[in-house]
Amino acid sequence: MRRIALPLAAALLLTGLALASPVAALEVGQKAPDFTLAAPGGKQVKLSDLTAKGPVVIFTFIQAFTGT
Amino acid sequence: MPQFEAAGAQVVGVSADHIATLEAWGKQNHVHYLLLSDFRRSMLPAYDALVTDDKSPIYRYAKRAYYVIDKNGVVRWIKVEANPLDLLDPAEVLKALKESGV
Repeated sequence: MRRIALPLAAALLLTGLALASPVAALEVGQKAPDFTLAAPGGKQVKLSDLTAKGPVVIFTFIQAFTGT
Repeated sequence: MPQFEAAGAQVVGVSADHIATLEAWGKQNHVHYLLLSDFRRSMLPAYDALVTDDKSPIYRYAKRAYYVIDKNGVVRWIKVEANPLDLLDPAEVLKALKESGV
């Protein structure tokens, strides 16, 4: 029983660690995750639609109307 | 902004505001670049650009972050500000764009 219990406990521990670890950060050289977001005029814009036209500079900001 | 266009890049601003809010804000401030709404918080987590703050009335909002993505969809430059109130000089982003060779 002990011969099974120890590897089983180790496997459970490793699974737990893997699940608990944060999602890998986005890094330079990686493919940018594609997205589809709402644009003015009721349009939906995909990242791949934008990159098809050329390079894209994206910036994110907290909230409109707040200067942030 | 014209310098970015001259460098052949499209500038896109993303926030977690509703698109109606962004649209109104863009009109009021004569914003000439594309504004996109990630109201559902689907894009921001994938870009490590989402803050979850129980104490904030917005609760889940975007960090201040900058990304240069080439025409093949590959990330060429990233800058995520630790303090969302820290604005990056556009010249620095432009320099990064030019140096990334996209």
